[in-house]
Amino acid sequence: MATILVVDDEFGIGELLEALLQDDGHRVMTAMNGRHALERMGEARPDLVISDLMMPVMDGAALLRAMREHADTKDIPFMLMCALPERSIADRVQGYNAFLRKPFKLAELSSVICDLLKGRSHDG
Amino acid sequence: MTETQQTVFAQEPGRLSSGVSGLDAVLLGGFVKNGLYIIQGAPGAGKTILSNQICYHHAAQGGRALYVTLLSEQHERLLSNLQLFSFFDAARIAAEISYVSAFQLLERDGLAGLLTLLRREIVAHRAGILVLDGLVAAEAYASTELELKKFVHELQTLALAADCTMFLLTSSGVGIDAGAVRPEHTMVDGLISLHDTEYGWRVERDVLVRKFRGSDHLPGRHGLCITADGIMVWPRIESLPIPAHRLPREPDAKRLSTCVAGLDAMIGGGLPSASTTLVMGPAGAGKTALGLQFLAGSTEEQPGLMLGFYETPERLLAQAAGIAPKLPQLMQNGIVQVLWYGAAEGLIDRVANDLLATVRERGVSRLVIDGLPGFEDITVQPARIPHFYKALTDHLQALGVTSLCTAEMRELAAPVAAPPLNRLTTVAENLLLLRHVEAQGQLRRLLSVVKLRDSAFDTRVRGFSIARGGIVLDDTTGPADGRTGSSDAAPGG
Repeated sequence: MATILVVDDEFGIGELLEALLQDDGHRVMTAMNGRHALERMGEARPDLVISDLMMPVMDGAALLRAMREHADTKDIPFMLMCALPERSIADRVQGYNAFLRKPFKLAELSSVICDLLKGRSHDG
Repeated sequence: MTETQQTVFAQEPGRLSSGVSGLDAVLLGGFVKNGLYIIQGAPGAGKTILSNQICYHHAAQGGRALYVTLLSEQHERLLSNLQLFSFFDAARIAAEISYVSAFQLLERDGLAGLLTLLRREIVAHRAGILVLDGLVAAEAYASTELELKKFVHELQTLALAADCTMFLLTSSGVGIDAGAVRPEHTMVDGLISLHDTEYGWRVERDVLVRKFRGSDHLPGRHGLCITADGIMVWPRIESLPIPAHRLPREPDAKRLSTCVAGLDAMIGGGLPSASTTLVMGPAGAGKTALGLQFLAGSTEEQPGLMLGFYETPERLLAQAAGIAPKLPQLMQNGIVQVLWYGAAEGLIDRVANDLLATVRERGVSRLVIDGLPGFEDITVQPARIPHFYKALTDHLQALGVTSLCTAEMRELAAPVAAPPLNRLTTVAENLLLLRHVEAQGQLRRLLSVVKLRDSAFDTRVRGFSIARGGIVLDDTTGPADGRTGSSDAAPGG
């Protein structure tokens, strides 16, 4: 069982991810934007962060930068989700461990999460 | 179905075939995969049959389906009723199609509990299709419109993530509420309405796609029947697109012989290829005889087809033996085929779609529609007829068919032939008129060409007789005063 932080402002996605991950036996924290996510990480250190890119207040790219600059969070695996193709965001977001194109498929999600929790990167 | 629909739609990626070819044609290839659809209709409209048909078709393609009932039929009764249909396959139940009752859980845990059940069952069964039968019950457990919309939104998210196309069945939004926009309608990807409408003593079923995100579709209502094979749909032919490459670009100079030598001589060698000819005349004037003779010109390269509403194929065969001796052999060899619709009521789109499909499959060159007003006799929507004729003749011309349609004139003894047929005379490119006249104490037949597409023609009124071997024109003409009559005893059509 792992602790996973799901960061998404879109209604439905966060709820579905939370439910699916709980079904798989994980403990799930949720946040609606990057700033909120950093606050949640202060409460408990997640084993994995799954974050949307486009969010208000602090987006996924800013969250990733902030995590990588902080000693406590710089090693946490980070899965970036976006409705755009990866090539269109690759030049402005670096350092993520896996990319998931929205709308994601459950099978793909489970496989990537499994790999990330085992320490395998997905070429972010 | 159009040519494109037949060859491409069922295979198109990103689409889910319903297993109902006519519905796939209306949806231009089937449902968009992973969409969320509402199928609405009054009780008995066919929602349960259609949704089960979709499930069994999906299972037959190697997929899995989950059928969840709320406050609807008991599973035993549902399955018992489904056994009447050819698509039903008991061997698929449990392994490929799972039936789950969720009403008690809905009562206990509300929409949140129902959503959790659906998510877990979809994942557990790896279901590519979910049917939720009884959306009305789910609506009853939503305390607000917003709660229902959230439920539908979460289902939509799940559909995308789980690779699952979802169908919500409901009887709301029909009857006096028909056409009313309900909160859930704004959320879903598509809204399919099934209707059964009363027309006097008759009832006709149809399907209407009210909303279909992510794709175009054929607009308007389309004929639907519930048969032993399940739901069948026939697209309204006025809505069927004609492929651009099929549209006639320039007049075709090619001619097809009518197999009546004297008539061919009057019209420059035969009927213009890929044109529509209307043969009008009173009963017994020789219309069917002319049609049979035209069909006798069919060959393996130019197959023939007769569509009839009144004369049975057996009777036509007997008539053909006397008029066009080659024709019975051509029928036996399959070079000429007969489609016969003897029912007093039916769906004109069913007849028209069958006709177009047969023309396409057999590459028909020569077509005779014997008794074109048969379409008017079986339909309950006479206002459609002019548009229907226009669409039918356009499709036939686009398929390169040379069509000869007969139509009986209402006035048997009118001095002037009144065009009776819902503007068909404007749709037909060629018009032949057959009449009877009284001359020297006898009834004689007359033939005249009223119009011919892009061509000059012999304007004389010619006498003719129907002998063994067919129609023979002579050089006599009718009386100068144009007085006409008819005879019940006259042979021919």
